[in-house]
Parts: sequence; structure tokens; C-alpha cells
Amino acid sequence: MIGPIISSGIISPAWDNIFAVLLGMGFGFALESSGFSSSRKIIGTFFGYDFVVVKVFFTAAIVASIGLLYLSYFGLVDFSQLYIQPTFLTSAIVGGIIMGIGFAMGGFCPGTSLAAIGVGRIDGLVFFGGMFMGVFLFSESFSLFENMFYSGSQGAKMINEAFGISPELFTFFLVLAAVGMFFGAAWVQKKVKKVEY
Amino acid sequence: MERKYTILAVLLIILAFGLVILPKKKEQNEIDPKALLSSVVEKSRYLSVDLVTHRIIENDPTLLLIDLRPADQFKLFALPGAVNILPDSLLAATTLELMNQPGKDKVLLANSDLISEKAWLIATRSSVTRIYVMKGGMNEWFNTIIKEKPLNSAASSSDLDLVSFRNAARQFFVGASETANTPEKSKVKEKVQVIRKAPEASSGGGC
Repeated sequence: MIGPIISSGIISPAWDNIFAVLLGMGFGFALESSGFSSSRKIIGTFFGYDFVVVKVFFTAAIVASIGLLYLSYFGLVDFSQLYIQPTFLTSAIVGGIIMGIGFAMGGFCPGTSLAAIGVGRIDGLVFFGGMFMGVFLFSESFSLFENMFYSGSQGAKMINEAFGISPELFTFFLVLAAVGMFFGAAWVQKKVKKVEY
Repeated sequence: MERKYTILAVLLIILAFGLVILPKKKEQNEIDPKALLSSVVEKSRYLSVDLVTHRIIENDPTLLLIDLRPADQFKLFALPGAVNILPDSLLAATTLELMNQPGKDKVLLANSDLISEKAWLIATRSSVTRIYVMKGGMNEWFNTIIKEKPLNSAASSSDLDLVSFRNAARQFFVGASETANTPEKSKVKEKVQVIRKAPEASSGGGC
């Protein structure tokens, strides 16, 4: 998570867990202040009356991409030290579908359910319990899913490499797509009947 | 959309466009001296012979063994999957291409640590990442894995586990009927079935 700063010797590795806690608190605060502790707000994305989830996550992605690329350009972050999650295509697709269904049914994703628990919401607690049971069952029956889990391995792949373009150009297109989505979402929201919650 | 959001959107587009038109920096081929010093002082570059052996037996796809010994010694005996690269060709384009393979842990080995250490320094200065040294080299590997050592009667359970692993590894490399005196025949043909563990949760993102 904070590999580039620690491995370049700017900060001691002893600070690793402290940073993890501080970043987690900041993330939780950002989720709550964006209204993500409300399942009705999150579910609005699927019904078209509230697109705040898409807007916030898209904004986070483009701000982080632009920030990282500028930091790398000015030599403040070593890109080679960044941890990139390996891609397993099949499990990513299957997991994405299951997560999407869970997201639409429960109105939370893992992080937002914890934010909801943090502000005392019972539905967040129930969702988290279900998620915990799912994780437990998956872990216990992992041998059944193992082949599927590891299939479609792509290694630590970057999406710009898949398109054969530079990260800077990809980020530019991503920003254009995000801005287009912001305007599109605002247009859809105007057309859809407002929901009070 | 509100005016403030429109302004922010325009700002983001300008910043992203700035990234595209910024002059490309010349790639720095050598590591920063401070970072190099830090890597030299740190001992995390060493991998024990037990760990390397374990990864060989597991057929770890991320492991790339680079054997720096002379070609005649390499032909006589080599660890399974090792590639022979002579120290004087370390900076050759093909070698650097091999060592810059993403997702691979490059483990340098020679008869002892001396040549591996020099090669590690050269590779690290050339900004090769995930590069390690097999501590003690082939001499240590032979003494630890292939040579049988008598077990102390007061050995702890972890020592017993280690000895048990080394015995199994010895059989893997030289065969059950072979002895420690016949390392030349120890090129491995058989395959072991890899039982993968579920990956531990890593620093993935997501909401």
C-alpha cells in the first residue's frame, strides 16, 4: 500500500501499520461523508435516482491516477515499487458478478457496510455478517473452486499495456470517460423520478 | 451539473492533458546511490538454500534461478530450471531482458556468495528488481540438502521438521536409492503435484 515511500527510505517500515490505520480511518471518513453508509443512496445507482457512488469512485480513480503519474514524473514515487494485484480473469468475472448481485441486493459493498456499522446501522451489521459467512464458506470449500480461482491468469497486468498505449494517454482517456459519465449521470438523474430518503 | 463541478471537470481534463504533452523524461538506468546503499545494508536479498529448494520442489513459476558458474560446471550439475549466465555477460541486452521479466524472482547462485554478490550489485545498479542471492551458493546447497547430517538427540520439533524436509528434498533431487556421493545424477525429471494454498489477503483496493 505504501511501498514506494517506505522502500525508498523516506519513512521507516515501522510506520507501516500506523499508516494503514490512518489511511483506513480516512477511507472510512470519506465513505461516510459521501453518504455511503446509506444503502438507499448506494442502491440509487441501480435505479437511476442517485449516482453518487459512481461519481465518487470514478473521481477517486482519476485523481489517484493523475496524482501518481505526476508524482512519478517528478521522481517522488517509483512506479516499479507499486504492488499490482495479479489478474485472474475467470475468477475476476465470476467474483464481479457475485459482488454485483450482492451489491444490488444488500445495498452495500464490504467497505461501505463497515462504514454503516460505524454509524450504527443494523442493515450494515447484517450485511457484514452475511459477507463474513460467505468468506468463511468460501475458505472452507476452497478446494472445490481452486481450479476456477486460478484460471485465466494474466499476471500483474496493466490495462494501458493491454491497449498498447502509455499510462498518461490511458489516464487522459479515462478522465474524458469519467467527465462524460458525470454529465450523463446528471442527465439521467434529471429524467428519473426523484426518490426521497 | 453545478458550476463548481464543471470547473473541477475542466481542471482534471487539463491536468490529464498535461501528462500527455509533458516531455518524456530520460529513463534513469541506474538506481539512486542512497537507495543502493540501503539495499546493500539490508540483508533481505539473501534467500536460504532451504527456501530456494522448497520453491524448486513446488515448481514455483515465479522463480528464476540464474547460475553464474562456468559452463562446464553447469553442465555437470545444475539445479532444475536454472539458466546459465556468465558474469561477463550480465549486462548483455538479452540478459537484462531476462532479468527484467515482470513477476519473476531472480535468484543468483554460484559456488559461493562472492560472484553472486557482485552480480547482485551490478543487476541492482541496473535497476533490476526482485533480485536475490542464494545464501552460500551451490556449496551450501550441497552441504545442506544433499549431504546427510546426523540429528542431535535434543533437537526441537522445528529442527525435526527441517531435517524431514531436507530428507524429502534429498530424495527429490537424487532419488530414494541414491546417496550423497552421487550428485551428478541428480538432474530432476519427475514432477511433483503442486498443492496451492489460498492466497492471503493482500493490499488490494476496492470499496
